[in-house]
Amino acid sequence: MSSELAGLVLALADNKQLLGLRYAEWATRSPSLEADIAAAAMGLDDLGHSRVLYGCLEPLGADPRGPERENDPESYRNLAYFDRPWESWQQFVAANAVLDTAFSVVLQSLVEGPDEVLRTRLRKMLQEERYHFLHGRSWLRQGVEQAWLERAWREALGFLGPPDDGLAALAPQLAGRLEMEVPALEIDWSGWDPVRRRFEPGGIDPATFDMMRGLEERRFTPA
Amino acid sequence: MTTFTRVHGAVREYEVFARKARADALSLVGSVVAPDDDLAAAYARATYDEERWIEMVIVPKESLITLWAPGSE
Repeated sequence: MSSELAGLVLALADNKQLLGLRYAEWATRSPSLEADIAAAAMGLDDLGHSRVLYGCLEPLGADPRGPERENDPESYRNLAYFDRPWESWQQFVAANAVLDTAFSVVLQSLVEGPDEVLRTRLRKMLQEERYHFLHGRSWLRQGVEQAWLERAWREALGFLGPPDDGLAALAPQLAGRLEMEVPALEIDWSGWDPVRRRFEPGGIDPATFDMMRGLEERRFTPA
Repeated sequence: MTTFTRVHGAVREYEVFARKARADALSLVGSVVAPDDDLAAAYARATYDEERWIEMVIVPKESLITLWAPGSE
């Protein structure tokens, strides 16, 4: 397995872990009871998907994770969109529709690719993701703030990579699923981080990072 | 007395039916309120996932035709 492919699988795993956590934060804050439950269910799905993706790294023979992940939030390969808790339901919807679907488009390319481990292990995710997609697209149809939509698209295109990257060809497929054209955004690729597949520096907020490492939990453990 | 309803012009109620085995008949397991079929499907799958259903279907409640019901003649 190429280290490039392992890096992509790790980026998907990190993004799905953060996406799952951000979804879960909205399990009591959405506009309706059903949307609360859907946020919780999608959060659980994506946390589960991240565990499956992490589990693919060892059998594939190339695990890029190092000890820096214990104390450096910038060592995680998540998009900047997931660095901090979301401020609004609009931000949730843009992530649900555009970013979650972008990850699914990439997952599908891996399921249809040559690697047997990925072909076998990732297939079930696509079935679950169908409902994330229906949820995101339906809320998108109801309208979303242009600024969040544009930000999500910019980060999705960053995740797919520059025009000479093989994944960039998936952008029209992503747009097609969302019943729209690929937005004509001016993108400066000079600051793009090819490892984290994102433009901005920075990382996960301290509270979330502590929680991910079990530090928050330990605060409540009897000495 | 006012009666609270979650159904209004922008959303409608869907009944959710499911079954666990081929030998079972579809049974009513609950309902969801949503503005369209896609979101109703996503909500039904998320809300009623307590069993390993082999089939789940949804139908707009307004499409059900009542032959008789408690309180009717």
